[in-house]
Amino acid sequence: MPEIRVTPLGAGQDVGRSCILVSIAGKNVMLDCGMHMGFSDDRRFPDFSYITRSGRLTDFLDCVIISHFHLDHCGALPYFSEMVGYDGPIYMTQPTQAICPILLEDYRKIAVDKKGEANFFTSQMIKDCMKKVVAVHLHQTVQVDDELEIKAYYAGHVLGAAMFQIKVGSESVVYTGDYNMTPDRHLGAAWIDKCRPNLLITESTYATTIRDSKRCRERDFLKKVHETVERGGKVLIPVFALGRAQELCILLETFWERMDLKAPIYFSTGLTEKANHYYKLFIPWTNQKIRKTFVQRNMFEFKHIKAFDRAFADSPGPMVVFATPGMLHAGQSLQIFRKWAGNEKNMVIMPGYCVQGTVGHKILSGQRKLEMEGRQVLEVKMQVEYMSFSAHADAKGIMQLVGQAEPENVLLVHGEAKKMEFLKQKIEQEFRVSCYMPANGETVTLPTSPSIPVGVSLGLLKREMAQGLLPDAKKPRLLHGTLIMKDSNFRLVSSEQALKELGLAEHQLRFTCRVHLHDTRKEQETAVRVYSHLKSVLKDHCVQHLPDGSVTVESILIQAAAHSEDPGTKVLLVSWTYQDEELGSYLTSLLKKGLPQAS
Amino acid sequence: MDPECSRLLPALCAVLADPRQPVADDTCLEKLLDWFTTVTAAGSSLLLLQENPCLVELLFRVLKSQDLSSRILSFSLRLAGIFAAQEDCFQYLQGELLPMLFGEVGPLGGAAWTAPAVRSGWIQGLRTLAQHPSALRFLAACGAVDTIFSLQGDSSLFVASAAGQLLVHILDLAMRGPARGRCSPQACDWPACAQKIVCHIEDSLCSIATPQVTQALNVLTTVFGHCRGLWTQGLWVRLSPLVARLLEKDPVPASHSLVDLLLSVARSSVPSSDRGLWETLAQTLSHLSPTQAGPLALGILKLQDCPQALRTQAFGILLQPLACVLEAAAQAPGPPGLLGGAAGDPMTADTLLCSKSACVGLLCCALTHLGLLQPLPQRPSPWPQAPLLGAAVTVLRLCSGSVAPTSDVGGRLCAILVGCGRVQRAALDFLGALSQGAGPQESVTQVFSVLLEYLMSPESSSMVLKKAFQATLRWLLSSPKTPGCCDLDPRTQLFLRELLPVLQKRLCSPCWEVRDSGLEFLTQMTRHCGGQAGFRQALLASEVPELTKQLLQDPESYVRASAVTATGQLSSWALLAAPASPERPGAQQKSLLVELLHVLCADSEGFPRRAVMQVFTEWLRDGHADVAEDPERFVARVLQAASRDPDWEVRAQGLELALVFLGQLLGPRGSHCPCAVALPETAPPGTLAQALPEAAPPGTLAQALQVLCRVQLFEFAFRALFDCDRPVAQKSCDLLLFLRAKAAPCGSPQEAGDSPNVASVEATLQRWQAGEQGQPLGYLEPGAVMAVLRSIDLEGLRDTLAESSDHVEKSPQSLLQDMLAAVGVLGENEADCY
Repeated sequence: MPEIRVTPLGAGQDVGRSCILVSIAGKNVMLDCGMHMGFSDDRRFPDFSYITRSGRLTDFLDCVIISHFHLDHCGALPYFSEMVGYDGPIYMTQPTQAICPILLEDYRKIAVDKKGEANFFTSQMIKDCMKKVVAVHLHQTVQVDDELEIKAYYAGHVLGAAMFQIKVGSESVVYTGDYNMTPDRHLGAAWIDKCRPNLLITESTYATTIRDSKRCRERDFLKKVHETVERGGKVLIPVFALGRAQELCILLETFWERMDLKAPIYFSTGLTEKANHYYKLFIPWTNQKIRKTFVQRNMFEFKHIKAFDRAFADSPGPMVVFATPGMLHAGQSLQIFRKWAGNEKNMVIMPGYCVQGTVGHKILSGQRKLEMEGRQVLEVKMQVEYMSFSAHADAKGIMQLVGQAEPENVLLVHGEAKKMEFLKQKIEQEFRVSCYMPANGETVTLPTSPSIPVGVSLGLLKREMAQGLLPDAKKPRLLHGTLIMKDSNFRLVSSEQALKELGLAEHQLRFTCRVHLHDTRKEQETAVRVYSHLKSVLKDHCVQHLPDGSVTVESILIQAAAHSEDPGTKVLLVSWTYQDEELGSYLTSLLKKGLPQAS
Repeated sequence: MDPECSRLLPALCAVLADPRQPVADDTCLEKLLDWFTTVTAAGSSLLLLQENPCLVELLFRVLKSQDLSSRILSFSLRLAGIFAAQEDCFQYLQGELLPMLFGEVGPLGGAAWTAPAVRSGWIQGLRTLAQHPSALRFLAACGAVDTIFSLQGDSSLFVASAAGQLLVHILDLAMRGPARGRCSPQACDWPACAQKIVCHIEDSLCSIATPQVTQALNVLTTVFGHCRGLWTQGLWVRLSPLVARLLEKDPVPASHSLVDLLLSVARSSVPSSDRGLWETLAQTLSHLSPTQAGPLALGILKLQDCPQALRTQAFGILLQPLACVLEAAAQAPGPPGLLGGAAGDPMTADTLLCSKSACVGLLCCALTHLGLLQPLPQRPSPWPQAPLLGAAVTVLRLCSGSVAPTSDVGGRLCAILVGCGRVQRAALDFLGALSQGAGPQESVTQVFSVLLEYLMSPESSSMVLKKAFQATLRWLLSSPKTPGCCDLDPRTQLFLRELLPVLQKRLCSPCWEVRDSGLEFLTQMTRHCGGQAGFRQALLASEVPELTKQLLQDPESYVRASAVTATGQLSSWALLAAPASPERPGAQQKSLLVELLHVLCADSEGFPRRAVMQVFTEWLRDGHADVAEDPERFVARVLQAASRDPDWEVRAQGLELALVFLGQLLGPRGSHCPCAVALPETAPPGTLAQALPEAAPPGTLAQALQVLCRVQLFEFAFRALFDCDRPVAQKSCDLLLFLRAKAAPCGSPQEAGDSPNVASVEATLQRWQAGEQGQPLGYLEPGAVMAVLRSIDLEGLRDTLAESSDHVEKSPQSLLQDMLAAVGVLGENEADCY
């Protein structure tokens, strides 16, 4: 029985370390290869031993697909390809391919060099891994091999994020990765056509949330930054190099211009240039507004945002600084935080999730006395604000996407079990499809009924057309022919053509049946009675009485004979071809009921 | 346990047991378990529980709670396992708690059991707990073993796998009891628990359901892989007939697991007692399909000690696919091929021809397995190097379509393989591996020819080209040298002359991956052959050096970085440009230094700037001609650029360069007094030490310090000492410690402890340490530097920096504080993405 099997190694009822194995029509695909930043040992990566157990990775897996550049979706990739030993193709969009190594490199430095962690990939490994990447364009069907094809759709969320359709023959799976159904300042909304996949694997981060308008959050953000700057305070915004940072930069740039503000805005460690370079490169991936205005003015060329120098942190007066890394792990953002934390006029805004074990996590949970190195205690007097700008589809958006794609089944990943449970019921009720939410390591198996393509010969089609019936996709109808299976292909041809092609002679197969009738008359008279009876009953059929005394109805032949032992009984010999099987059976049962008495 | 942690623990336990308080971060519970494992490994668990009664209370409350999350329940099961691993603590908990947690009355019988996390926690808890005989009795009493049997077929891979592992652990524990020597195969004297497990394995092996057979085989694989007792031999004697019986089925069930088991047994102590194993292996080889038999054949050939006949059979299996290819592609009957003239196996030929995926799978396996075997000392001897080379070349030609076999089979193979990237990659890897052995001249010519064909072909994908470059490099580096001199032999030289125009073309590829692979190839070639006349001649006659230089402006930063490394290497061997005009010797070379300095100062991305720093460090170390001209000026310029760099890896590399400079100036690490170092004699040619005599008389610390002050090394190093990036600070600390160790024993002629300069330097450093790094240090006197060096607690700083940058946040106390602080503020920091 053909089936689709899905096993999450990560993102099954949790968030972080997305890695989903899909087996479809004998092809094995890995969807995302993420890491968990909350761990600093092997647990940060998905447990690949469950795949290596099936033999060599490259022999087992047909391809790896990466949905976007966030580390919880691509962070384990160099480990998987260069240390575990996967040597096959990796697919992602061009922006993802360009941005991935920057983030991987940033995280590698934090993990290995700053924290002294072992068993992590090197810069060379990141490069070697990126060389295995095959970049895909939106809506371009990429042939992985003769049978497996993939196609990318726009997912919003972050620059270059894509949903992927994986197709083998008539079976298909769509994986959304992370997506956003509402456009934001620099990205458009996710979109997919009515591809009716057998299975839609969708993220469910905000499975139970209807998110307020992002505009409100943006207004709130600007208000808080403005108020702080106005009272002479400094604002620190810890960010990762790419993604949210650009969105907030555009926001501040526009606001600064409108309000004619003078306080400087800085972006640390030269990342502005690099990031903006990439964003410029991928203008087609941004939203319509940016694309339209790009000719007049490039929104990524910031007038007010300047590169940060370490010395600026000590300058008096207000300022806004974007600094990396995003969770106040270490490095510049942490150094600035330490410097500014003691002043209540200042503010730190955390625009994203922070894992446990980071200063970001501590201050978000309200801790205000932080132990630092050497038993020193840092008193946090500055204001701490959390504003999630993460761009995920909310419950409404997820339902919208399911409606858009019209899948036969839905599978939820990248979310919390309780929230998934709620959404699962909603999806099942509204769309009348089965919805699954496997935990990590659990396999969901879906039986499929694959459609097998069959070629029809031109001759057969012409013959059908000659009958005057035009083909109509909405009205399936029967087409008789002979199915030839040759060289793994199926063809439907006329019987004559089949005989000719296969060099076979025609044999006629007739079904026969004997019907006993009580009739004392002679055989010829019985035959006449049969003829008259059938003629009166079967008005639409051609009933003939042949000179040799037999009766025919289409291909059915009826002959009357005397019974060898009982002269009062006649035997009707009925025979027919398989084409008239229905009629043959009908006639037999009719005759078995006997002939009407002669009037 | 830390008193502070002990103080926080009751509150945390209360939070964990409260179903209204969900745990903030899914990693917290794991980290908490890690901590308890560390604590109990260091001391008594019983004492821990007695001193912290909240822990036992937590376990009781968890059991009583109706609507607790599966994560907390799973955590509690694992936690109980950690405590009960010590026998006295086990006794303490056994009365009530353990049966309630792990017995029928516990989660096992409740609704929570449907959550895989709970089942997983139950197994992991038992796995940790099962460390002593009392635990075994407990397992038997609470009927846990039957539950573990059923969990082997769990819907969760993780649970099923852990159940298998637990069975092995229990079996091992049971058999580890006192005076268990070699056990009889009947196992009538085995402990009841072990007997039960073995009977279960026997039943599973006889099952008609493949999943059950697989489970049994996997358990046995782990037994023979991990358990060392003599009892394993008895176990094999008992079970081997059942395993052998699997071979009678068609198809052989769970073939992959069967192969794993047989190899695991073959690597254990069993073969010494059971020679029948070799026969089973031989039978398995002949029963399995060619694709299934490959891994077994490779495993057999890797064994240190096994019968020659079996090795021959196994090697034959690996060679079969390639033999079939050779046979199919042969234009005319040639010399005996891979199998000494024997006909190819029809089953292998069928597999190769039945479908594309089967053919590709089989060929890739064969090529990979043979490639892995090639470098091993136990590889079969004689090794059929020439036919293997022929086979690899033939496969590659079939894939490129450059060979047109006349036979029907050959034609079909060609149709299947043409353009197949997977086979191309595997064959190129294999070809590269074969470079380690010699081959007849004709074969090597063919190898060069096919490599050239691939490097030239517009059809080659970037990954195929990368592999082709790697294989080419391996063949070039292993090619024989002309007798009597160290130069390349004529055939290799000829190949090089043909190769360089191809490389040239590839350096202009629109695909960055190809340009980068080309540059990596060039760097390696130059590194190894830069001194060989033939290589130099061919390279200088080509446009490759010029093109490489142009790639310093490539739009892709990875390529720019590789171009920096390649030009650096070329320049080291004076291969970068045609000889300069007599009026301006070295003019071209100088311009590279300027160009690389420009990259260091202006490139917007880190990779090229890091590459420049590595090249410069190498140049300084090796005494590159341009550097040797004026090392002081060189170092000054480089340090100035590096100190301002936003990328801390560049700054760290700057300190590495400074360390090399110090080593040249003051002598290597280990020799204490620079005064003892006779610089001109010991330093390598072209280094600073050779150039130094012109500036100052050699061998005095004062002179050396003057030089260091002039190049502003101290300003750089002191600033780096307080860098926000730990590795930079660490490196700087090492450098300053090295300098102090070198200088201190000799004393300084200009001791300046009371110099007015010192106080201002110290004041500035204090501000830097506090994070205010705006103020420059200004020019430093050597005396002041030494005084400051002595006043800083470098050792203390080194110890602080040796800690990971998040050691405070990672501490158990911090973890407990975080978990407590997160109560009630969950919505503020909800996991989404990063």
